[in-house]
Amino acid sequence: MHSAENDGEQHQSVKLTINGLPVSADTGMTLVEAAWQGGVPRVTSVGCMEGVCGSCRIMLRRGKQVTVGLACQTFAAEGIEAVFLPPASAPQHHYEIDDFKDGWDIHARFQDIFPEASRCRHCHGCDYACPKGIKVENGVAQAAAGRYRDAGETFFECVMCELCDVACPELIAPAHVGLFSRRITAHFHLRPPNLINRLEELRKERSGSSIIESDEE
Amino acid sequence: MSNGIPLAEARARYSPDADIGPLPDLADTDTLLNAYHPDHLRGSLVNLVVGANAGDSCQRELAELLQAEAFIDEADLAGTPVSDVDVLVIGGGGAGCAAALMAAEKGARVLLATKLRLGDSNTVMAEGGIQAAIEAGDSIQQHIQDTLRGGHHAGDPALVAAMAGDGPDVLRWLIRLGMQFEQTSGGDLHTRRAGGMSTARLTHCRDYTGLEMMRVLREAVIQHRSIEVWEQSPVVELLSNEHGQKCVGAVLTSLLDDRLRIVRTRSVILATGGLGRLHLNGFPTSNHLGATGDGLVLAYRLGARLREMDSFQYHPTGLLHPSHLAGKLVTEGVRAAGALLVNGVGRRFVDELLPRDMVCAAILRECAEGRGIRVDERHVGVWLDTPRLERAQPGLLEKQFPNLMSRTRVSCVDPRYTPLLVHPTLHYQNGGVVIDTNGATTVPGLYAVGEVAGGIHGRNRIMGNALLEIISFGRRAGIAATANRDRGPKKVTLEHVNRMRRALTLAGMPMSRRAPQVLPPYAAGGVWSR
Repeated sequence: MHSAENDGEQHQSVKLTINGLPVSADTGMTLVEAAWQGGVPRVTSVGCMEGVCGSCRIMLRRGKQVTVGLACQTFAAEGIEAVFLPPASAPQHHYEIDDFKDGWDIHARFQDIFPEASRCRHCHGCDYACPKGIKVENGVAQAAAGRYRDAGETFFECVMCELCDVACPELIAPAHVGLFSRRITAHFHLRPPNLINRLEELRKERSGSSIIESDEE
Repeated sequence: MSNGIPLAEARARYSPDADIGPLPDLADTDTLLNAYHPDHLRGSLVNLVVGANAGDSCQRELAELLQAEAFIDEADLAGTPVSDVDVLVIGGGGAGCAAALMAAEKGARVLLATKLRLGDSNTVMAEGGIQAAIEAGDSIQQHIQDTLRGGHHAGDPALVAAMAGDGPDVLRWLIRLGMQFEQTSGGDLHTRRAGGMSTARLTHCRDYTGLEMMRVLREAVIQHRSIEVWEQSPVVELLSNEHGQKCVGAVLTSLLDDRLRIVRTRSVILATGGLGRLHLNGFPTSNHLGATGDGLVLAYRLGARLREMDSFQYHPTGLLHPSHLAGKLVTEGVRAAGALLVNGVGRRFVDELLPRDMVCAAILRECAEGRGIRVDERHVGVWLDTPRLERAQPGLLEKQFPNLMSRTRVSCVDPRYTPLLVHPTLHYQNGGVVIDTNGATTVPGLYAVGEVAGGIHGRNRIMGNALLEIISFGRRAGIAATANRDRGPKKVTLEHVNRMRRALTLAGMPMSRRAPQVLPPYAAGGVWSR
């Protein structure tokens, strides 16, 4: 473990290609830093640079292997080719959480909103695409089976890069299925007693003080 | 000549079981802050010459931008396409999304414009949590007192009371939208006590609180029927009425096609966040790429008053190493969970849960006095003793700090076995645009919420109040901005730009610099060349 740690001194200079332009960088640099140093123009999809915002989506070629990932989580290496991908388009699935009044019909609503989720053909494209190593396909299956709490937990580390949405041939939009699962779980099931008690206290204080105020009037 | 103990030597000396000595008494805290806090570095401050804060003290790099020339004048507006909306929200982080959602809920047609992608913000990177006084032994009053004390009593008590009072309802609103929180086995929201808090008050979603909040808010905004979103659309200037006295819209550009667009509106809500990417005093930053202080520049040019422009928060535990993560945070939650700070000679030197400015100053003192750990000439830090924490509470790091673990895994560092090398990093703008409890600035029609606004955190923010502030004031401004039902602008002008230009000329100020900055120079290649 310790020997692999990068100490700032052992970096090697490498040549790679970003958005079709040749770039020189060293091995301690992420592809975002390499793009900046190499003067690659119009790199607009950079956000947090620590792998939580999901903006810096790239397609990457190493030899014959082509993958997708996040530029801020990928280090420069000799001969690789990276292309920054355009931002994802708006989702095709529509719902507003306030439209859900009754938790009992949520599974029927889910199937209306995400009809493709039950048509997964198990190609693993989403699993390969996920830069966070989420078992995406499994998460979709959990949601399709109505196990939203489990599905939401599977997607816990999702950064909404939506690379799985792009990878899915059935247009399932797994990232949004995962987020739907998490939101539904909180919306219908998260009822923490300590918070509820404090809200109730504050409500009583407010109605109490408004009675006093109206007495004074 | 920088001093300190070489990294290899400090590593060899380090052991998670070593005796790190008793906690030393901290000398007078004011003396410590004055001597070592970056706000007090010599040459760091200047007095503003023009504008609503003329004569006030301001951080030097920021003052240059506040007193800079605009990018556009009237000639640029001819033939520019115009859109009309009820409320324009500028900024796509947590504050902007909360404001947009609330305005839309109250019936406004909302346009949300953001410089990068919707959700690209400091919100998404917030790890630690959100404060709300919900535990039985806690009260709104205690939350108010902790916030004011943490801010050295420079905050506005009315704003602080509004925010703290909103706390419990903010959590309810977020849960309704679908945000999850960590729970105890009994179902209560799990709380922690962090720096500057008198009791446990920090609710959280492991160490992904901001990500969880942001992905829920982002989805809610995208899915909302009455909110339109323009991404990659920075604002280059606000618009004023013919007297330059009221905000009536904004001029936006696009990073994709470079074309200007005018938005006319009754209310503008600035939710542009902070300015870490200006790298004040040469510090690294924990902030996301777009944090370049644009909102301050735009508001100041239109005549809005600012406050505490000489006070910034340097987070004590930014990573020093590995280099690609330089400046990135190790959440204060790790210290709240019990991790200690240890210097290069293996001694503890400060109470880790003091307010952030004091811990920061204490670390800088260790580094300045030769007890730091030296990577090279310019990089000296101290240990954050995570292996000791892992020994005391096995499995805790993996269970509660998956974000930290996954970030360090990329560079083959395992904080369970290797202590992390940390150094203060520019984290937060304590002050900002002066607002009232509706988020309204001193300029009619212009609101400011979130980090761009000032007055809540005084001269030092305590942990967990940023995520609370953005939702509390985002919602307040969304409601207030929608309640403004005047007939809307008759005329949109750049009168305020002319006014600032006259003032700068009269004061003999240089007009070579243009602002807002939009992107830091190292990232602007081919994108932003105005």
